[in-house]
Amino acid sequence: MIRNPIKRDVLIAVVLFALMLAVPLLTGTRYVLTQLTVFFIWAVVASQWNLVLGVAGIFSLAQMALFAVGAYATAMLAYYIGLMLPAAMLLAALVTVGVSLVIGFACLRLKGPYVALLTLAIGQVMYLLVVNDTACFTMPASGCLPLFGGARGFSRFGDLGFRDLLGSKWYIGHYYTGLVLLLAAQLFCIAIIHGPLGLAFRGLRDNPGLALARGVSRMRYQLWVFGLSAFFTGLAGAFHAAQFGVVGPTAFAFAMLLFILAMIVVGGLGTTWGPLIGAALLMWADEGLREVSDWREIGIGFVLAACVILFPKGLAGIRLRSGRGPDPRQDAPPAPPPHTRPSATPGAGPAATG
Amino acid sequence: MSLLEISGLEVAYGVQRVIRGISLNVAEGEFAALVGPNGHGKTTVLRAISGLARAKAGGIRLAGQPLTGLRPDRIVAAGVIHVPQGDLLFPGMSVLDNLRMGAYLPEAARDEAQRLDEIFTLLPKLRDRQSQIASTLSGGERRMVGIGRGLMAGGRILMLDEPSLGLAPIVIDQIYELVQALAKSGRTILVVEENAIRIADMADRMHLLDNGAIAWSGTGREFLSSPEIFATYLGG
Amino acid sequence: MDVATQILISGLTLGAIYAVSTIGLALIYGALNMLNMAQGGLLALGGYIAMWGMQAMGWPAPVAALAAMAAGTLAGGMIFVAAARPMLGGEGFETRIFIATIGIGLMLESVILKLFGPQPQAQSLKLEGGFMLGRVSLPLQNILIFVTALLMLVLVAGLLNRSRLGRAIRATSMNRDAAQLMGVPIRRIYLTILMLSGALAALSGIMISSMSGLLPNMGADPMLKAFIICVVAGLGNVPGAALTAFAIGMLEAVIQYIFGVQYAFAILLCLVIAVLIWRPQGVFGQKEVVRL
Repeated sequence: MIRNPIKRDVLIAVVLFALMLAVPLLTGTRYVLTQLTVFFIWAVVASQWNLVLGVAGIFSLAQMALFAVGAYATAMLAYYIGLMLPAAMLLAALVTVGVSLVIGFACLRLKGPYVALLTLAIGQVMYLLVVNDTACFTMPASGCLPLFGGARGFSRFGDLGFRDLLGSKWYIGHYYTGLVLLLAAQLFCIAIIHGPLGLAFRGLRDNPGLALARGVSRMRYQLWVFGLSAFFTGLAGAFHAAQFGVVGPTAFAFAMLLFILAMIVVGGLGTTWGPLIGAALLMWADEGLREVSDWREIGIGFVLAACVILFPKGLAGIRLRSGRGPDPRQDAPPAPPPHTRPSATPGAGPAATG
Repeated sequence: MSLLEISGLEVAYGVQRVIRGISLNVAEGEFAALVGPNGHGKTTVLRAISGLARAKAGGIRLAGQPLTGLRPDRIVAAGVIHVPQGDLLFPGMSVLDNLRMGAYLPEAARDEAQRLDEIFTLLPKLRDRQSQIASTLSGGERRMVGIGRGLMAGGRILMLDEPSLGLAPIVIDQIYELVQALAKSGRTILVVEENAIRIADMADRMHLLDNGAIAWSGTGREFLSSPEIFATYLGG
Repeated sequence: MDVATQILISGLTLGAIYAVSTIGLALIYGALNMLNMAQGGLLALGGYIAMWGMQAMGWPAPVAALAAMAAGTLAGGMIFVAAARPMLGGEGFETRIFIATIGIGLMLESVILKLFGPQPQAQSLKLEGGFMLGRVSLPLQNILIFVTALLMLVLVAGLLNRSRLGRAIRATSMNRDAAQLMGVPIRRIYLTILMLSGALAALSGIMISSMSGLLPNMGADPMLKAFIICVVAGLGNVPGAALTAFAIGMLEAVIQYIFGVQYAFAILLCLVIAVLIWRPQGVFGQKEVVRL
């Protein structure tokens, strides 16, 4: 085994990436590839939120709001200004960083639970402002459109160009885009967790006095993590907009927030691979339980509560202790997950419906 | 016959062992002192006795009855009174309510009025201050309320954690006069004190705690007359 | 004048509803440092049990209300036993219990959804009629809510300040270690607090649903509001929470009148964000105060 944790994690990431590269060659099924693309998106959101929540210790629930900012900014830049979608996506990610810094400045002076409630409130305000805005900003053929799209949201704001390039196989292009996005986000996570920022946070946790005496400023580092992780979160939101071609207020839905939170908690808060394991597991469970959809919500609630009570360190914590290398996508569909305990109960939310 | 018997006590915070197998006894009616430099586990020993810290190994008995594994409220009921470091008063309550909290357990509550009277006789200042909110008291007054609150519970052994901490020298003298008076009245007392010399001529027995283990035990007189203890542990 | 009366009536009613559910949350946070995110589920539970008791079982209103409160008490107790107690003293308690109670709340709401369906229903426990105050109508239901809430607040205040149990609760929230050293069995106190808060939430749920109807997720917004009230007052401050509840209720009534119902919540949230940036510890600043 490789001792250096950075090398080990990068190697795992690259190997997994290579394996996933081959998937479209093996199965051409549009359904499977689309599902995996959605998995990439939620895995990015989960991994970035984990940096904020588990590594930097910021009790922020603004993650889905930031995701939505990325999605809305993309749609609005493309729709109103007519930007090419890739350019709009990048710009939207930067807009998300800006918004996150504003939220960060407002929240980070507060203590944990205050941060949670305040960020939740901020997301709710955004949602209400979008939904309740009924004044028409423009009048396209489809009827009145408020500035932020209102309850209906945006559609027809262009695509990534894969339809022209690959024709009916356009979704393969999206698959690879999502895969690259996830690889970049995960490498970023590895860099943060094993890099100076991660070290600083570990120092703050283990010995706050010493760390502070050495000039570690918690708030400054937290703001860094908050802002940087918002980039990939916004990008994930932007890519979600491109993937589905619509952006609506459902992006703010509390159920989605819970679903992602469950991924992180089930996989292992603060671990490198936990969020990906959790994302794979919960999306797989969500898929598998589609027929008994009545029980999904109860299931996700149960999984969330049971995991946090029984496995405080998540599944990644258990696996690391048993000495096996964490391998997130072992659990990905259609392979069965090695740990059946949490999935023995029905679990999951409106994952793939986006 | 020892009232309090501690044998092989170990306490750990996480993986770090703070108390590494100590044994000590406190006899009925004895005034015992646990001394030693700060950060060597004195407070942890008291917290383990009163159940606030979990013992990893070893036994604690009060008059033969095992205390290890009991919840703090059962240990109080068994007769262990712990006046914690820094008093830990209930800041938003009046002095009187703080004292009455001391007699929370039903057995103590029966004698509440009588004990209150005794404490007001012992500490007349508290009678005048009884309706004052605890957070507005001076340091010395707080210490008195802390000790008085402990006395309200009755109990069989009174454990005081650094009763002189953070007080002016003249107030420290008052507090130790009080402690001595309590000892003379026949109470069993275990005091934790950083300043060993201050307590050496009062205490019946001294236990020197060094790096989580008992390094020396003996009478106060023996303590004062052993130069090597001074040299090794007290840097003098 | 009529407008002022109208705003006063609806403000006081809203404040009364908020106060009842908020003091429970404040008590829990004060004693356990726990944000009970299952509160929304408890609100819905209370509302639905009362409706079910009257509709399906034919119970008289007071019995239905008591049954709802009993169910809330039970649910609150179970939250402590199943979720909070196993984690007590563990690492990251605040985060973990927050997430666990989110899960429990979701389960509660889903079970209600499964049993009663997703369609909105009317609360049966409701007084009809009212009388005119000048040209403003004063519904009996608002009076009932206000009087019940006031009664509950007085009862809780009496419990906290005049009883042995209340002193133990206050002692526990002021200093956990010291309370234990006085012989207070803090786990039993925690359990009591969660049960009490469950009962209060159920009652508040009946009140909310009598004004705006029953929905499985009817508790979400009121819960967020209750937390906001706690935060504005300073988490864990019980009397501050009760006062703030009435202040926010009045404010909401005013905003509703001036800007319209759909913006009330958003504007309220913005105000709260501003307050928090101005005073991160809440308006009633100090910690460790539990008096009523």
